[in-house]
Amino acid sequence: MENPGTLSRFVISIALVAAGLWFPGRQLFARENTDKQNATSATSSTERVKRTGEQIFMENCSRCHRPPMAISPRITGTIVMHMRVRAKLSREDEQALLRYLAP
Amino acid sequence: MPPFSTTTYGTNTGRQVGRVMKIILLAASLLFCTAQLSAQDAESEPSHAGHVPVLSGGLGYVYNVNGGTSTLSPIIDPVLLLALGSHVLVESRADFVGVFQRRNGNGDYTGQVFSYVDYAQIDWLANTHAMVVAGKYITPFGIYAERLVPIWISTFQSNPLTYSVGTRTSGAGVGGQLRGVVAQTNKYSVQYSAYFSAFSSVYQLDAARTTGFDASVYFPVHRFEVGTSYQRFLQQRHINSEAAYVSWQPPHIPLDVKAEYDHSYYGHGYWIQAAYTLSQVPVANSFFKRMELGGRMEQVFPLNGGGNGLPRIDTQRPGVALNYYIRDDLRLVSSYQRQFSSAKDVNIWNIGFTYRWQWPLWPGRE
Repeated sequence: MENPGTLSRFVISIALVAAGLWFPGRQLFARENTDKQNATSATSSTERVKRTGEQIFMENCSRCHRPPMAISPRITGTIVMHMRVRAKLSREDEQALLRYLAP
Repeated sequence: MPPFSTTTYGTNTGRQVGRVMKIILLAASLLFCTAQLSAQDAESEPSHAGHVPVLSGGLGYVYNVNGGTSTLSPIIDPVLLLALGSHVLVESRADFVGVFQRRNGNGDYTGQVFSYVDYAQIDWLANTHAMVVAGKYITPFGIYAERLVPIWISTFQSNPLTYSVGTRTSGAGVGGQLRGVVAQTNKYSVQYSAYFSAFSSVYQLDAARTTGFDASVYFPVHRFEVGTSYQRFLQQRHINSEAAYVSWQPPHIPLDVKAEYDHSYYGHGYWIQAAYTLSQVPVANSFFKRMELGGRMEQVFPLNGGGNGLPRIDTQRPGVALNYYIRDDLRLVSSYQRQFSSAKDVNIWNIGFTYRWQWPLWPGRE
């Protein structure tokens, strides 16, 4: 670190990368904790969750088209993401749909 | 003279160390984020839903007669869905439409196939309130363009007369869009989208410079939705376009009612459409529950000379449709519409079939 400019750039780089690590990490942990809480409450009543997922499926799919009779579990996640964007579904609804369509 | 033009061995070594440190830290941060996303995916989705790439879409073959001119239209609309984790989705839809008409009115059918990229976008599903869309996207104006255009969805195979309001010039925007849920309870959901599109004349990415928003409230208990759209067209003549729409699927009746009113500098008009599935017919129920009876009424009143996709004279177009679902993804379609205007009254017939598919493009767990 012979040059003060190099030192300052190095410090700024460290700071930027640290900020880059901290912010998304914080967001992810926060989201993850929320998801864990949702998952815990969701598993407390399987029947309620299943019914809710079915309700969300029937209420939202039929806004535009006939609900499909079956979706392969391996593409369910992708399809539901697509429908979440198109139908502007909440993340909670997305999770309920996934649990209903691919339990 | 640049401040670091004096080259010494020590300075170069310091720069190299800095670069290496940056690369290592950047790679570490990317790895960290990826690992976190994977962990999140595994823990936040207690289901067996897979995220393999999907080739979806619809195809159809429609025989159309418009004012005595018959057209054969094979149509394929493939949709590619590529999920990157559970928060990022790359999606695109192309449109291949054949237009074949009789040579000289009574000769052999001849024509060509047109191809077009309807949208090609990347979606970041950040959270409930914000989903970021970038790329070429369908203009979120009204209820028809975004939701009812796919051939396997639409009750009628012709777009409403007011379709061009808010969708000029290509039906798509190139730029960014924010969409999501403002607030949601068990009784209602307030949804929005806001966008800005730059002018683009790039092949397959053409779009006009526009900005606008769409907002709607959905009442899931009553399956009723009401919404409004606004757009400011920002090139050539700057004009405003507005729309108001409703959508209703009564919970205990197999009925789907949709209506929209559109207004722009070049005209205004409405369409109202109802589709009833005959599943309540007590006889031959297994046959009638697959049958859908539709009706649509539309009117357009041009302003300032009309044009730009709208008729130039007052036009009315009532019509009926009869569709039969052989399976939930395969149906026969037919419709008849009568178009009235002071210039000429014409009949519009459509008959054909549509098919929807969803294919995984990658092996995965079942």
